[in-house]
Order: sequence, then structure tokens, then C-alpha cells
Amino acid sequence: MPGDCHYLEGNVNAKRRVEYIKELLTQIGLEPERVRMFQMSSAQAAQFAEAAQQMTEQIAAIGPSPLRKKS
Amino acid sequence: MIVAEQKSLEELKALIEEAQKVLVVGCGTCVTVCFAGGDREAAIVSSSLRMATKLNGQPRDITSVTVQRQCEWEYLDQITEQIKEVDLVLSLGCGIGVQAIAEHFPQTWVVPGLNTSFLGLPTEQGIWAERCAACGDCILHLTGGICPIARCSKSLLNGPCGGSENGHCEIDPDVDCAWQLIYDRLTAMGKTQVLLNIQSPKNWKTSRDGGPRKIVREDLRLVAEEEE
Repeated sequence: MPGDCHYLEGNVNAKRRVEYIKELLTQIGLEPERVRMFQMSSAQAAQFAEAAQQMTEQIAAIGPSPLRKKS
Repeated sequence: MIVAEQKSLEELKALIEEAQKVLVVGCGTCVTVCFAGGDREAAIVSSSLRMATKLNGQPRDITSVTVQRQCEWEYLDQITEQIKEVDLVLSLGCGIGVQAIAEHFPQTWVVPGLNTSFLGLPTEQGIWAERCAACGDCILHLTGGICPIARCSKSLLNGPCGGSENGHCEIDPDVDCAWQLIYDRLTAMGKTQVLLNIQSPKNWKTSRDGGPRKIVREDLRLVAEEEE
């Protein structure tokens, strides 16, 4: 819910910052999908569980960070 | 403040390509407050380059440090030992900082991580705008505190050109016409009579046209006086 945030416009600002991080990850050479923003209230437990599930599947599909490999 | 922008990570990678050990040096003054080269940015650049070079299969030893001001020898002295340890310094200072490091550490190869943009201020969070051209002969008392050198696209001294339209500049409708701003402010202040003083052509000798500039204050120097 953009703009409907405990910190007023905080989630709108956060969205722009997440976009910045995605761009930075791309420039570094990592998959931007490793970070993602979901919006929900603290009372939406079911949505949180669903988002956690989605993110887990997404990250598992990408695989471990290539930075973990010993160079 | 001096306002700068970081070069892209791609450019930074190319700049450090030849080096094995790199020290990213942030600056704690102007470029900290314009979020281009402070302690936080130095840490992010350092970490990003470490990751990027590792992913390229050519990992580099990259660390970071921030000094209060890269443009003063006393602050640079504090990182002498760290600089000795590396084969390249990536300065996140303005162009002055980069040159100060080159001058203070003659054996050190230093490269610029920022593009120094202008002298200006943040008009709101995340937006910086040019305000001063450092022309060396300030006339803000004649122009209501609005600089026509820095803010008029043609640096005109006696009113707007024909390209001023509805208060905007012909180069870009998003750019205010400096002379409209000047006129509006002088009108609001009841001081439009100031505009009746026609300004003669500016002597640009005090600006870049006179070559590199230097100020000497004998009252502040610490050199020993010559014996009579």
C-alpha cells in the first residue's frame, strides 16, 4: 500500500532505495532478484508467510551466491 | 559546498584494473553531505568493488578509510601508513582531494572516483543545484543575492536575453531565468533602482581566464621573517 505506512511515505522511499540496490547488485554482477520488496502491514501474517515462501523459492532457484565460492 | 557525483561502478572497475591492493579514500566534508564520497559511500564502493572483482575471477584487496578533509595536509598525514601499503588510491574526494593526495604522496598512484560537478546547495533532499561559479569578483549585492554568472546560462550582467520566456530559460523550460529571479526579488525588496546601474563588461581575470588562481595571506603565514 504505497504511502500507507506507519512511517508516512516511508515505504515509497524504501521502494526507490530497493530499486537503487537492485541496480547496484546488477553493476556488481549479482542477480538483482536477490533483493525484493513486499508491502504489507504487521497484521498480515498470511501474506507475510506467502511472501517468505515466494522469496525462498526465488532465491533457491537462483542458487547460492557466487561470492561464497573460494577464489 | 562542492557538489560531486560518483563515477559508475564500471568506470571504477576500469580505473583500478591494474592494481592488486587498493585503498578507497572518502572525504568527510563536502562530498559527504552530497552523498558522493563520504565514509558510507567509501564503504559501499569498497565492498562493491571487492564483490565485482571477485566475480570477475580477479579478486582485489580493497579497503577503505575516510579523512575529515582530503584537501589539507594534516588530515592526509593520518593515512600515510595505509597509503604506503597499497598500489593504488581511489579517491572519493573532489578534484582538489585527488590532487592533494597526488601532491602529498608523490610515490602514490591516485585516481578519481568522483566527477566534481559544481559549487552549489541541496534545494531539497536528493537535489543539488549550482549557485556559485567562483568568478573571484562577487556582485551578489547588485543582483539581489542571486548570481547571474552561475545561474544565467549566458552569464549576462545587465538583464535577461531574448530567450527568457515566462520566467524560464531557453535552454530548458525547467531552468529558471536568473534575471527573472533577480528582477522578482529586487521588486519584492523594493530595490529595483539597483538595476539602473549598468554594469560594465566583467573583468574575467579574477576567474579562470587569469590562469590558475592563488591567494596569499601574509598575516597568516608561518614562515620565519628574513633577518634584517
